[in-house]
Amino acid sequence: MFDLIVRNVTSRKVRSTLTICGIALGIFAVIVMGAMSENFHQTFERSMGVTSDKIRVFAESGVFGGGLTDDRVSDVLRVAGVKDAYGLLMTTFDEDKMGMTGKQILGVPPEKSSVALSPVELKAGRFLSPGDSYHVVVGSNIKREYGLGVGSKFEIHDKYFNVVGVLDYTGSIFDNAVIIPLETAQDLYNVGDSISYIFAVPDERLDAELLSKRIELSVKGTTTLSPGELRTQAQQSFMIFSVITISSGLLAAIIGGLCVMNTMLMSVAERTREFGILKAIGAETKDILLLTLGEACCMGLLGGVLGVLVGIGAVGLMNTWLEKTRIVLFLITPRLLIIAMGFALFIGALSGLYPAYRASKMSPMEALKHA
Amino acid sequence: MPDIIGGEAGPEKEIILKVENLSRTYMQGKVPVHALRSACLEVRKGELLAIMGPSGSGKSTLLALLGTLEKASGGKALLDGVELTEVPEKLQPRIRREKIGFVFQHYNLIPTLSALENVELALRFSGVSKKERKERAKALLEELGLGDRLTHKPTELSGGEQQRVSIARALANRPALILADEPTGEVDTKTRDSIVRVFKSLSEKGQTIIVVTHDPDVAKECSRVLRIVDGRISDRKDF
Ligand SMILES: Nc1ncnc2c1ncn2[C@@H]1O[C@H](COP(=O)(O)OP(=O)(O)O)[C@@H](O)[C@H]1O
Ligand SMILES: [Mg+2]
Repeated sequence: MFDLIVRNVTSRKVRSTLTICGIALGIFAVIVMGAMSENFHQTFERSMGVTSDKIRVFAESGVFGGGLTDDRVSDVLRVAGVKDAYGLLMTTFDEDKMGMTGKQILGVPPEKSSVALSPVELKAGRFLSPGDSYHVVVGSNIKREYGLGVGSKFEIHDKYFNVVGVLDYTGSIFDNAVIIPLETAQDLYNVGDSISYIFAVPDERLDAELLSKRIELSVKGTTTLSPGELRTQAQQSFMIFSVITISSGLLAAIIGGLCVMNTMLMSVAERTREFGILKAIGAETKDILLLTLGEACCMGLLGGVLGVLVGIGAVGLMNTWLEKTRIVLFLITPRLLIIAMGFALFIGALSGLYPAYRASKMSPMEALKHA
Repeated sequence: MPDIIGGEAGPEKEIILKVENLSRTYMQGKVPVHALRSACLEVRKGELLAIMGPSGSGKSTLLALLGTLEKASGGKALLDGVELTEVPEKLQPRIRREKIGFVFQHYNLIPTLSALENVELALRFSGVSKKERKERAKALLEELGLGDRLTHKPTELSGGEQQRVSIARALANRPALILADEPTGEVDTKTRDSIVRVFKSLSEKGQTIIVVTHDPDVAKECSRVLRIVDGRISDRKDF
């Protein structure tokens, strides 16, 4: 039966091609949007992985409201169950680009740089150490983009820094991090002893969520973000992002599906007589269903393959182009490919269902009388 | 190997089709149209029966009922041991495959398939293996003089050739009965004669055929002629 299906698709070349292109366009959108989402998802998962053990303590007035200063660190440290605490100053690296590139300056107490970044490891050099001032540890993307290595000079906010360490690639936000000593950062940006937030490390035996509440209650004027809350918060924004990307991909694919349905309805109507003949020579209802549904699925499949190929090509091109700017990246995962192909087939089958039903339900005599 | 077309025609030919009071009424809006009124006939194995009648007299309706393409409004038709009017809808395709072969006026070949594939198609639905399908279809076409036309598409064949392909297709499943609805309606006299010759030789080999025709020249070649007028047809003396 398969050869007959292929024959029907190939014998109406222009129409089949247009239909397949319709599906391909939809699947192309699914791939591109999906690749964006997948990249976001991966960054998110990895970022979660590398910061999951710490509680973030903010000023009640928010990260940008100021009000959180170095002296609060000792208050947090005093809370029972807090093993360690230190302040961090976070700011965007390229102010002129409004932080769109995701590059961040992270001011950390030099002696804490290793634990603050843990479990991210060094690829070369060392972490910051006490006594460092205009010294910097850079993430792997920064290293690559600026061609840095241990010993190179790196200009930040009109000052030259000595690169002492380079981080391993993580696929997380740390790849875009520029880590300098906290005091140097405070001087550089002229913020006195302000900090953005405090990292509180809970005792091993203690539940982070519980400690998080305890800190909030014990240290006045602070609010905390526990690992769990951080995850939920990030997941929410991730969800919105996913819904937007996936739904625009779906929309395109549904349009592709309507293409198939339209083609199949036309083709079924056109072949009414043919179905009558098939029935007269003894075709079963299931044979007719198989032929029609198979044709729709075949177009879905071909459209899917085409869409996936073009999608992979386009994503590859965009990734190469974006390599320089590093604004967004697309990631094609096996999961995404399976979803896209499955979806193409599903769309094909779904939109072939009604035409197939129509074809199979025709009375043979009526169909034969059809011109 | 036994003869591909039909079987041995014995001297004592049994009745293969027995039609009793077969009727069909269509509703045209609210008006009932009696397309077939209590048709009665008996057909023996190997007969070449012509049915003649004016347009709209119910010829196609009769064939459609005998071919289980439509449901009868009343009456019975016993074909080769099968009560056609009582075959449930689910089993109708099987009856069409196993008992009946259709030949149409407009040939009704599938345009995208070659001659060989068109004949094969009928065997495909019967679940015959690919190899056997090919062999049987090829043998049939060769027997009908189309051995050099196997890979031709219907559009590349003449009317007479197309009709012979469709006869081969009708024969593919070795049916008990061939129903031909005006098979020579669209061909020239020379082609018509060749088609009639094919039918005659099939009938001599024991194949039962009912031919609906307008053409007296076709009818006179048949073993028997029945007339249908206004949905009435009968081979009974008291009709
Ligand atoms: N599906 C149908 N609905 C209503 N009337 C029909 C239908 N099919 C056939 N008829 C009517 O039944 C009568 C017999 O038709 P048909 O068997 O096709 O005649 P023939 O083949 O002898 O020309 C005609 O009057 C025709 O109009
Ligand atoms: Mg007719």
